Amino acid sequence: MTALLDTIAMALGTLRANVLRSVLTLLGIVIGASTVVAMMSLTEGFRLKLTSDFAALGAGAFQVQKWPALQFGPHDHRKYERRPDLTREQGEALRELPHVAYVSIEEWARRPEALATRDRTTKQNISVCGALPDYERANGVDIALGRFLSHTDVQLGRRVIVIGADVQDILFPGQDPLGQEVRVRGVPFEVIGVAEREGSLLGQSKDGWAVVPWTAYERALGKVRNNNIAVVATTPDDAPRALEEVVAKLRRIRGLAPHEESDFEIFSNDTSAQLFDNLAKMVGAATFGVCALALLVGGIGVMNIMLVSVTERTREIGIRMALGARRRRILSQFLVESVFLSALGGLVGVLLGAGLALGAREIWQVPASIPAWAVIVSLASAGGAGLLFGIYPAARASKLDPVEAMRTE
Amino acid sequence: MDDALILVEDLCRYYEVGGETVRALDGVSFAIERGEWVAIVGQSGSGKSTLMNLIGCLDTPSSGSYRLNGADVQGLADDALADLRNKEIGFVFQTFQLLPRATALANVELPLVYRGVSRRERRDRAEAALAAVGLTNRMHHRPNELSGGQRQRVAIARALVGEPSLLLADEPTGNLDSSTGEEIIRLFDDLHRRGHTILLVTHEPRLAARCPRAIRLTDGRVVGDGPGAEVATLTAARVVHA
Repeated sequence: MTALLDTIAMALGTLRANVLRSVLTLLGIVIGASTVVAMMSLTEGFRLKLTSDFAALGAGAFQVQKWPALQFGPHDHRKYERRPDLTREQGEALRELPHVAYVSIEEWARRPEALATRDRTTKQNISVCGALPDYERANGVDIALGRFLSHTDVQLGRRVIVIGADVQDILFPGQDPLGQEVRVRGVPFEVIGVAEREGSLLGQSKDGWAVVPWTAYERALGKVRNNNIAVVATTPDDAPRALEEVVAKLRRIRGLAPHEESDFEIFSNDTSAQLFDNLAKMVGAATFGVCALALLVGGIGVMNIMLVSVTERTREIGIRMALGARRRRILSQFLVESVFLSALGGLVGVLLGAGLALGAREIWQVPASIPAWAVIVSLASAGGAGLLFGIYPAARASKLDPVEAMRTE
Repeated sequence: MDDALILVEDLCRYYEVGGETVRALDGVSFAIERGEWVAIVGQSGSGKSTLMNLIGCLDTPSSGSYRLNGADVQGLADDALADLRNKEIGFVFQTFQLLPRATALANVELPLVYRGVSRRERRDRAEAALAAVGLTNRMHHRPNELSGGQRQRVAIARALVGEPSLLLADEPTGNLDSSTGEEIIRLFDDLHRRGHTILLVTHEPRLAARCPRAIRLTDGRVVGDGPGAEVATLTAARVVHA
C-alpha cells in the first residue's frame, strides 16, 4: 500500500513539473472523452424527453397510415405512393372489432393553413384536420375551455372549430375565444373549444393545430382522399390484440394475399420510441468511432511523451535502480504515470463534455442529461489507453542498465 | 577470513569491444574486514570503476567469486541484486547523483522507499541522517539550491540512512574544491571512527595516502596492497618507471 501511494505521489510530482507538456499531450484524450460525454448527454436528453413526449397518442392508442412516419436509409418513395389510400369506409369497418373502442378517422390538409380573425392572422403553420369526436381520445386532447366536437356537429356539418393553445395565443390574446369567428381559407368557423397547452417537441410547438368536423371540412375545404386512422383499444392491455385485429381486417378489406406485405404502416408510442432508439444507436456508434479515433491519437501522444520522459529521466532511473528499485518498480512507476496522465485527460474531457452539454441546454434549450455510464466509460477508456500505450515506454525504462543510465547527462 | 565483509577471489570482468576482448579486471583477489577504511587507487583505465560496479552489485563478474556480508553475489538475479544494493550498500558518487526535482529530505528517504519503510519512520530516519551530516536547516531545499559540499553531504546522508554494511564512495571529492573536499574527507574519517566500513575509489594518491589501507590497481590487476601512505607513494614511483 505504501508502495502504491509512493508511486502515485511520484507520478503526480512529475506531472506537476511538466504542466504545459502534460496538457498538450492530453488534448487528444480530452477531445475524445468530451465528445463522448457531450454526444451521449444530448442523445440521452433527447431520449428521455421523447419517451415522455411520444406519449402524445392516448393510452392504448395506435395509428394507421399509408406513409411511414420516418425513414432512415435508402427507401423507395414510389412504393408508398402506389399504395391505395386509406378510406373512410375502411376506417369505419374497424369499429366492429372486439377490442377496438374508438376509431378516429382524420383528414389532414397537405399543407398547413393560416388562420385569421378580422384583426389578426397566424403564420401559415397551423395544421387543420377534419375529424370525428373520437379524435379527442385517440390523440389525448385535454380541453381547457369549452368542449370538443360532438356527433351532432359532425352529422350537421356545423362550422365549428377546436383550436390549439398557440392559435388561441395569436388570434385571441387575453380574450375569451369561445363563440368567436376564425377563418380558414376565408371560410368562417365558430370556436367551441380550446385545448390544454402541450408544449414543444424538439423545439417544435405541439399546439399549432385546429380540428373541425370532417363533414364541414370536406364542404368548405375539399375532400382529402387519404385518411390517417387512429385506433384506441378497449383497454391499454388490449392494445396488442386490437392491433392484430386491425391489421387482419385491413389486409382482408384491402384485398391482400397472405404472402403480400401489408400496404399500410402502424405506429404506436412504442414504435415511435423504437424509431428514436434506432437513431440514437446510430449516433452512439458514430460517437464511439470518433472517440476510439481520438483515444488512439491521444494514446499515441501519451506514448510519445512517456518515451521523451524516459529519455529525459534516464539518469534518474539509474539512480533509483542503484538505490535498490527493482525493475518491476520502475515499470509500475512509469505505468502509473501514464495511466494517471491519461485518466486526468479523461476527467478534464468529461468535465468539458458535460459543460458543453449543459451549456447547450441553457443556450439553445435542447434537452441534455449526462448518463453515468458515459462518464465511467470515458474515464475507463482513457485510463485504459494510458495503460496500453504506457507499456512500451515503461518496459524500456525498466530495462535500462543502472551504470549506463547514471552516466547520461 | 570467514567473517570478512568483502571477499573477492580471482575476480575477472571482460568486455567485448569491436570483436576484441578487453580485460577490465584480470584476476583480482582481496578481503576487507568490517570497520576498515580502504582506498582503491588507480589511474583511469586501471579497472577501478569496473571493480566498484562489481562490489556495488551494479554489475556481475565474468568469472571469479565475490562474497558480500556472507552472501554469494555471483549468479544472483536482478531483483536480488537490487535488494542487496538497497540493504548492504550506501553509494556516494562523484557527481552526487541526487534527484534534481526532489528536496534533500526526499532524496535521503529514497532508499527507504524501496525498502517499504512507512512514511513516518522514513521521515524520522531521513531527518536524523541529515542532522548527522549537519544539514538540519537545509532539509527542504532542492539540490540546485545547495552548494557542492552540501550536495555531497546529502548524498552521504542518503548512503547512511539505510544503515548499510558498506559505504562505497566513488571519487567523492572529484567535483569539489580542495577545502570542501577536505571537509568531506574529514566526515569520512569521522564515520570510520564510528565503525563504518568505507571503500573509497580514487585516482589521487594524495587521498589514498590518508586511508589506513590502500589497494592499487593497474591494468586490471592488484599491484599493491598495504598501508595507505606506503601504497600511494610506491605506486606513484611505479607509474614514473612505467
